[in-house]
Amino acid sequence: MESESGDRALLERKVRRAFQVLVLQRGRNPGVKGWEMKRHLGREYRKIIEVLSEDVAPMGLEVFEVKGADGSDDSSRFLLRFRDSPTVNEAETSGIRIDDLAVLAATIAFINSKSGRVARREVEQFLREKFPKWRVDYSLDRYVKRGYLDQDDRGMLHIGWRTRAEVDEKTLMTMILSRAQEAAKK
Amino acid sequence: MGQTKLDDYLRVIELCRDVETSSANPFDVDIREKILLLKQRLPELKLLDELLVDSEAMLELAQIVKLQDQWLKQRASALYIDPLLIQLKLKLLPKDALSEAFVKSWHPIAQIDQLSPRGLEKAFVYWRELTPMSERFKDQFGTYGVGPGVVEYTDLVSLGVFTKEEFEIGLTRLHDELLQQSNGEWVDYRQFIGNDSYESKVRRAYLLAFLLSEGRALLKTEPLTGKIWTMGLVEKVKGTPKSVAIPITGDS
Repeated sequence: MESESGDRALLERKVRRAFQVLVLQRGRNPGVKGWEMKRHLGREYRKIIEVLSEDVAPMGLEVFEVKGADGSDDSSRFLLRFRDSPTVNEAETSGIRIDDLAVLAATIAFINSKSGRVARREVEQFLREKFPKWRVDYSLDRYVKRGYLDQDDRGMLHIGWRTRAEVDEKTLMTMILSRAQEAAKK
Repeated sequence: MGQTKLDDYLRVIELCRDVETSSANPFDVDIREKILLLKQRLPELKLLDELLVDSEAMLELAQIVKLQDQWLKQRASALYIDPLLIQLKLKLLPKDALSEAFVKSWHPIAQIDQLSPRGLEKAFVYWRELTPMSERFKDQFGTYGVGPGVVEYTDLVSLGVFTKEEFEIGLTRLHDELLQQSNGEWVDYRQFIGNDSYESKVRRAYLLAFLLSEGRALLKTEPLTGKIWTMGLVEKVKGTPKSVAIPITGDS
């Protein structure tokens, strides 16, 4: 009986610790790598993360895992993110410009349609049909800096880790296709 | 002779690099054919430099194989849609519909960005051990330095940075540009001064400072977000201008 309550207390402590580790930004990028989680919470950290994800669900949050480049547990990045998407109004009130979001949406869709990699100059050329040059340059630089897009030394753009973490790409592509049909009908 | 021998290698390298730096289909490169060609040419290579070119060509072909792998994975995923179709759809969609599509598929990260006691301690130690400005570059530059000061318009003319005519023309041109861009609304100051080169940025900021002092433009700052806004005015405003210091750095 005593050991059961001891186990429960230990689990609660670890879940609390997991929450603190996830919510406080350490380093440049948000989120915590798998190996760090193991160090903070022990080998069974995935179970603790599962419990935490259920605990934060009533607050509209979830723990999300972004797989690393090599697909190993250690390289995965764990993040606390919104379970549901915000509304357009909420996004606007947080200081994000609709134009900037539109640039990002179009860029992600364009990169995905080009098998995940496309020359930056090609993206710029495409976006300039819809947005002014200065906004295209400014937004692309900003999204590369923030991790939504990734630019390699050959000037090729890829989808960044942050897009993988925050954006449901399938939903985005479906929405773009369906909205375009509606726009065409109008 | 040496160059002809290496021509095939150089062509392979160039072809691979072209594919790597564009969104061309990596399967356009026939790996098997290229490797057979390299294999056939290999016995002719004697010098170390030639062998290095051979290994470079092999490395480039390996990169193409990697791209082919990624390309297949992407095609097999549900995210692949014909590029022409998606380009057409993106062109059809208005900006607000695009941003709405993004917001509906967006799950922002929740995090707190704040100072921890450990961070404060590190900052304190750093500050305590930081050499004063006057001492910091003493070894390299000695102690005879000139502190920051104000450069007047006349100083710039005497230094040959501007002639009087150039200055007036530049001022008018910038005023017209600001009027056109702002069109009665606030525009981002940093975007307006541009990001082409440090020299151009400083020049535009300097000219804009004149327009502001003359009352031909307005400036407002948002201390919380750090944003600075400016607006061109057709008619000069009267009143006492306030002084604002805006750092212009090479990277922003």
